[in-house]
Amino acid sequence: MGNLIKSEFRKTTTTGLWWGLMIPTVLLAFGWALGTGAIFKTVSDFMNSSDAEELASLLNVDPSQWQMSVFGIARSINVATIFPMIFGGLAIANEINRKTITTTFLTSPNRVSALGAKMIVYILWGAIFGIAIVASVSIGIALTSDAGSLPDAGGWLALAGVGVLSSILMTMFGVGVGALMTSVVGTTVVLLLYMLIVENGIQLVLASQGLPEVIGFLPNGAVNGLTGSVASSLFLSNAGVVPEDMVEALRAFAGALGAFDWWLSGLIFLVWSGLFFLGGWAATQRKDIT
Amino acid sequence: MHDGTGRIVVQNLTKQFGPVAAVQNLSFTVEPGSVTGFLGPNGAGKTTTLRMLLGLVTPTAGIGLINGRPFSQLGNPARVVGAVLEAQGFHPKRTARNHLRVYAAAIGVPDSRADQVLQLVGLGAAGDRKAGGFSLGMKQRLALATALLGDPQILVLDEPANGLDPEGIAWLRTFLQSYARSGRTVLISSHLLAEVEQTVDQVVIISRGQTMYYGPLDHLRDQQQGRVLVQPSDTGALVAALREDGITGIEQLPDGRIAVTGVEARQVADTALKAGVSVYGIQEEKADLERLFFQLTNGQYAAPGQYAQPVAYQQPPGYQQPPPGYQQTPPQGYQQQYQQPPAGYQQPPPGYEQQYQQPPQGYEQYQQPAQDYQAPPPGAQQPPQDNPYGQQHGQGGLGGGA
Repeated sequence: MGNLIKSEFRKTTTTGLWWGLMIPTVLLAFGWALGTGAIFKTVSDFMNSSDAEELASLLNVDPSQWQMSVFGIARSINVATIFPMIFGGLAIANEINRKTITTTFLTSPNRVSALGAKMIVYILWGAIFGIAIVASVSIGIALTSDAGSLPDAGGWLALAGVGVLSSILMTMFGVGVGALMTSVVGTTVVLLLYMLIVENGIQLVLASQGLPEVIGFLPNGAVNGLTGSVASSLFLSNAGVVPEDMVEALRAFAGALGAFDWWLSGLIFLVWSGLFFLGGWAATQRKDIT
Repeated sequence: MHDGTGRIVVQNLTKQFGPVAAVQNLSFTVEPGSVTGFLGPNGAGKTTTLRMLLGLVTPTAGIGLINGRPFSQLGNPARVVGAVLEAQGFHPKRTARNHLRVYAAAIGVPDSRADQVLQLVGLGAAGDRKAGGFSLGMKQRLALATALLGDPQILVLDEPANGLDPEGIAWLRTFLQSYARSGRTVLISSHLLAEVEQTVDQVVIISRGQTMYYGPLDHLRDQQQGRVLVQPSDTGALVAALREDGITGIEQLPDGRIAVTGVEARQVADTALKAGVSVYGIQEEKADLERLFFQLTNGQYAAPGQYAQPVAYQQPPGYQQPPPGYQQTPPQGYQQQYQQPPAGYQQPPPGYEQQYQQPPQGYEQYQQPAQDYQAPPPGAQQPPQDNPYGQQHGQGGLGGGA
């Protein structure tokens, strides 16, 4: 198995795909962090202005304690993990497309170990992408946010942890879908369409029908819940008194509407990834390589 | 794990792709120490058979064994069997050396082995070039290098000569023969007998997914029957005289000549002299391997059953009598084809390489004799209607002689 993992890792480093996707990942993460940092800064500036102070005291809240930046961090991570997902999606689809899968199977004791080694290598890559995303987001958010709205070290660590975790899970999800679809274009289009458009539409419908709790079970809802839940609980734990009505709005703000606790969200998403991977595994296992 | 014999056993392999029976009940054995040719026309099921043997395609029925085991039970399979299946299977952006290192890691051989095999196949200088920029011949070499990474006991090659230049083919032939002589097993498929005739010791000939012949190539050579074409002044008298001598294989050709099977020209001439018949022309016609191969694999796309005489799996092989096609009277022009001296075809043509300098002709040869191919690829010449064998004649170097 060690040999196969080494082989699979070499496959990823001997073509340009990893850095071809790493560059937009870092740029997108950094850009979103800069943007969201700036937006939330404007919001908190407004909340701290004399006009809003009255409102704040009326609502019995203290906006100066609000770490608005955590929402920006969560949102930026969610967007940037699209790229590791695509990277994972191409893992098996590309091999089938390039016909390198033939030699891969001819040099592996069996298909299970070949695919297993691939999964392990892509989990590693998911972590590498995750670290790059967290670093880019952290720098971006720090540049545009007030020091007061940034999370403390513990909060940052928690966000960084779920950020890397969600990147890993997104990569695994991609590997699973790619194994099932076996087409490079198909995998890329389906993953992007679903994650960026289809599920957002479903979420809107569910939210408007008063069924937001279902969102937490959907793939995108679950993975967003991972970072979003941590962000909103961080915010709530530091914000002092927050009216009940505002909690739900804050969770939506964080991209975690209807999501469960971070660990439960992660578990749900892991189940989705596992389902696709097992499906793709089963399909590849029996597939005639011609 | 496996028995280490280097033997390949194919038992009753069958593969059904939807309604298409790609391979039907195919059986043969490949022994170590020899190069075995796996021959059949395009679409005969060669590639599917090899892929079933290598565990890439799941058989509908039957089993393929390498060293007594199915591929999936070989442990580290690339150490036992190396395969060249297609000149593809390279990431276009990966360099040749990196490609080999990827699989060297999977097999568990040191990275230096990648450079060794690159040198071995003559790609030493191209190691840092990306495989996407390789010519077909270079890709074939790289595929062979990949197959050799694990220093396997058994080599399986599917149409490896495709895209190789004459020099490359000569090299490959020498390489495979020395590989086999070191006690290892080589199985090489081709749709051209001439392509591998100089390389192989044993042949397995399949057509329409069934075994047509299995055994040593020399047996096939020995079993060829020549015939004598004679133009007598009085056909009836000569036929009667020949029948008197106990010769029965006589056939009237449409051009007025008669074809006599199983005799020498001298005997026919002597009989004619005794019978007082003038002989205006006489020639011996030797069936060459190429034609024999064509007969064995003929009719792949013809009416079902017409040529369906799969030879049962047995040793020695059952090519006892010429298949039906042999008796059919060929049209005009056929006769000219074998006018070369009989002895000529026995010798290997001078310079194996030369044969491959006309690959288009060799290919045409398979286009034309049959209704097999509906649409010849662009560039293939359409033969004159009354002379479908004309082109075959055109490449006399393949058949022998010259």
